[in-house]
Amino acid sequence: MAIDLGAVEAQLSTAFPGAVVEREGDWLVLDRDRLPSIATYLRDEMGFDFLTHVSASDYADHLDVVYNVYSTRPELQGPGLSFKVRVPDRVDARVPTVTTIWKSANFQEREVWDMFGIHFDGHPDLRRILLWEGFEGHPLRKDWHEPYYEEDNKPFGSRWPYPENPRPRSAEQRVHWRANVQYPQGFDPEDWDLGADYPPLFAPKVEINGIDTEPVYLNVGPHHPSTHGVFRMVVGLQGETVTNLTPVVGHLHRNHEKIGERNLWNGNIPYTDRLDYISPMYNEFAYVVAVERMLGKEVPERAEYLRVIMGELARVVNHLLTIGFQFNELGAMMTPMIYAFTEREHVLDLFEEASGARMMHNYYRIGGVYGDVSDEWLARCRKVVSRLDRKIDEFETLLTDNEIFISRSRGVGAMSWQEMVNYGVTGPVLRSAGLSYDIRRVEPYSIYESFDFEVPTYETGDVYDRYRQRIAEARQSIKILKQALNRIPATGAIMDGKNAWNVKVPDGELYSRVEHPKGELGFYLVSDGGTNPYRYHVRSECLINLAALEAMSVGHLLADAIVILGSIDITLGEVDR
Amino acid sequence: MLSDYNFIGIFVVVALIFPFIALGLAYLLRPKKPNPVKTETYECGLETIGETWVRFRAQYYIYALVFVVFDIEAAFLFPWAVAYDQVGLWALAEAFLFLGILTVGLVYAWRKGALRWQ
Amino acid sequence: MDWVADFWIPLIKAVVVVLVLLLGGAYMTWGERKICARFQVRYGPNRAGPFGILQPLADAVKAIFKEEIVPNHVDKIIYVMAPGISFAAVLITFAVIPFGPEVDLFGQRVGLWVGDIEVGLLFLLAIAALGSYGIVLGGWSSNNKYSLLGALRAAAQMISYELILGISLLAVVLLAGSLNLREIVDFQGTWPLLVLQPLGFLIFLIAILAESNRSPFDLPETENELVSGFMTEYGGIKFALYFIAEYTAMVVNSAIVVTIFLGGWKWPALISDLHPLAGVGLFLAKVLFVLFLYVWIRASIPRVRFDKFMRFSWKFMLPLAFVNLLATAAVVAFL
Repeated sequence: MAIDLGAVEAQLSTAFPGAVVEREGDWLVLDRDRLPSIATYLRDEMGFDFLTHVSASDYADHLDVVYNVYSTRPELQGPGLSFKVRVPDRVDARVPTVTTIWKSANFQEREVWDMFGIHFDGHPDLRRILLWEGFEGHPLRKDWHEPYYEEDNKPFGSRWPYPENPRPRSAEQRVHWRANVQYPQGFDPEDWDLGADYPPLFAPKVEINGIDTEPVYLNVGPHHPSTHGVFRMVVGLQGETVTNLTPVVGHLHRNHEKIGERNLWNGNIPYTDRLDYISPMYNEFAYVVAVERMLGKEVPERAEYLRVIMGELARVVNHLLTIGFQFNELGAMMTPMIYAFTEREHVLDLFEEASGARMMHNYYRIGGVYGDVSDEWLARCRKVVSRLDRKIDEFETLLTDNEIFISRSRGVGAMSWQEMVNYGVTGPVLRSAGLSYDIRRVEPYSIYESFDFEVPTYETGDVYDRYRQRIAEARQSIKILKQALNRIPATGAIMDGKNAWNVKVPDGELYSRVEHPKGELGFYLVSDGGTNPYRYHVRSECLINLAALEAMSVGHLLADAIVILGSIDITLGEVDR
Repeated sequence: MLSDYNFIGIFVVVALIFPFIALGLAYLLRPKKPNPVKTETYECGLETIGETWVRFRAQYYIYALVFVVFDIEAAFLFPWAVAYDQVGLWALAEAFLFLGILTVGLVYAWRKGALRWQ
Repeated sequence: MDWVADFWIPLIKAVVVVLVLLLGGAYMTWGERKICARFQVRYGPNRAGPFGILQPLADAVKAIFKEEIVPNHVDKIIYVMAPGISFAAVLITFAVIPFGPEVDLFGQRVGLWVGDIEVGLLFLLAIAALGSYGIVLGGWSSNNKYSLLGALRAAAQMISYELILGISLLAVVLLAGSLNLREIVDFQGTWPLLVLQPLGFLIFLIAILAESNRSPFDLPETENELVSGFMTEYGGIKFALYFIAEYTAMVVNSAIVVTIFLGGWKWPALISDLHPLAGVGLFLAKVLFVLFLYVWIRASIPRVRFDKFMRFSWKFMLPLAFVNLLATAAVVAFL
């Protein structure tokens, strides 16, 4: 599954003598100062037009910024190039930005700045993204210590401070951290200007028919019915037309990655459930695949089949729910959504019996799955699958030709796939614009190679095509499910060896990605040979798909912006992590 | 017939009383403990930025102008419709003429782009 | 002055009608939740009383006891008045709708209507237009961007569809030769106007859906974009007033549809001498049917987008209403 690294290195070295500083396992260490020109060369000359992952890792003496680029050219699809740049200076850590080359780096570089304090020179909008401006320090640096768990640095002076005001007037004023939290130097929360998230407020007035009108800035979210949780977008409106839109995330941030570094390798599995809580099964799938790749572990056949069955059931459910939410946003009074939830219940019944939990399954294990299923379970699963098959038809009958739906979704949020690739958009949204790029095909994992299924695509990438894309993909999943249920070995082990309580992963680092229902879900893992990850990063497809939201929405109406947001299909648990 | 207007008058009074009863009853019974955070303008949980009552771009104000014209003309048509039986064919011709003018007005507004969403 | 005939009977009628309307509005909230639930394969309210039948009462009690929150920057007088305007306007609309023939009750000859005036139809249109004031003023006075957007939409939407409402009714007036609603009902003794005016009926139905801000035209309060549109800042009893005004408006509008197009309390031709009170029952049944239509539409189709909706109004519905009027006029003239 590896790319011919030697050839790449040779080509880069001829174009840029001394560009490759070092070769570290499967990673190339590139020259930091010449990064923009090398990146341009990678994109334009070598075909790596698809930057999906940017992250960083902290090693006591230096910081690494890692990049994973892939190609969408048919002949080059498949494994991509992993490279990194080294930042020796911890205090004044600087790396040139690649946002100008791949727009998908925008949010991810902001995240790296937020978590590691690495400054990206030339980044158009380098602000904190998941944490707020009043947070002191960069929490994923190894020299930042978490209060309580890593005692020697406590932001709170004491556990229960005494408020200055003995009789506060309201619950909101009774917050106990008022005088008690550490802020960065020169930061005053009272003066904190939310305006940083607003486009310039002196935006020009627009003159229409001789009357100049003023723009209105509107917060849509976090407490809004249609933002799928606590997502916020700041929308600039002229009348009802969106002139600019800034997504603001992080309200649900819990520093999943910091928690992940503290957990054992096994212990992270249930945490991944909390990422995209609509399809937790697939999150676990992504994580265990990543760890197994580090371990080089084989998985027994029956376990592989069970994984695929669970994963594809999750995909069907996810797509149906997304369509349901989508119609909710279109104002269809919840009917399709509740139909989707009805189907979900049947699948959750299956999940519950197999794993013991309806939502937070914790079913996958490193090297297998948690428990075997009975023959009755398989029989019932077959029934559910054929039921889902019928229900997808029913959805199509109800929704596909609905006149109002077509008039509201055709042409709304359309974007070419080239542009989407540049924004790092993955998953059904990307395929609906016409690029056949499915990681199950281009970089197969598990046993997907052995299944016969197609990668459907549509043409325009508008909201209507995204809807049809999801229907088509759900059908393909049903196809996979039917094959898997027919071919699953009657008996066999479900674990590679003994169910280990503790796993030690050898030294190394890797970025591993799978085709999650919502897009490319990747895990970037670094191990120092210990029992827990040294670095654990989730490449959240929801967050990165959001980067294209502004470009998709501007010029449309506010109502359309909401629908476009819905069709991108985000789950805030994963966006904010 | 005139007394029917009185009946409607009585009805209007009764109908007006009911919302006052509801508001008054609630006024007597409900708690009222405002605080600055509670009484903030709702904007999805954040402070609102900028004025609300600005010179807003009402893309539909021309609709209102067109409406005034048409509504008055529609009001003219009501007596015509009532007396249609008595006036007969001549009324039809007249109506065609009148509606013709209306239609020209609509077409004019249409061509001028007044009905376009901009 | 005959106090019994001129004061007490109308007063009793008024109180009874208002109470029935209120109850109808309240139970419409329950009915809609129940019917929608059935469309969506779930139960709907079923905790307060059998079949959740006490749900509206529970809601009312809750609304009355709920804390009042008046935001800082609102225009207070208008803010408080607006729901009242909406609510009263809806009730007043019903004043001219006959819901039964004249009957003998307790030795008195009583017409089952509140007021039987010559310009009933105009009255109807006029008061219906008043209702939009409640919404526009409420949305504007809230000093909230969502409300403002909702109010602006409400204003544009209501004026557009009022016009269509009026023009589609012109054809009816033309046929019935009267603006008096009782006479329009009498005109439908043999056949309801639905048969004579199928196109007019459709136009009217769409216009009245739009006029009462009901799905798929519930644009002033589109939950999905504008949170709650014009009533975002309203809570407690004031919200309840808006809410019940909307549902009472559904009832009243259904009654209007029934009166004008479905023959009111009359049964088409087949049964000539119906007991007067059976007529009231029939009227009620028809109203319930139209109400069911409302809910059916809401549970089935998504919302249209505002600009398309306006375009639909001015570029399609209005010319269509004109055509319908002219065709009717021509047919009446030549037959």
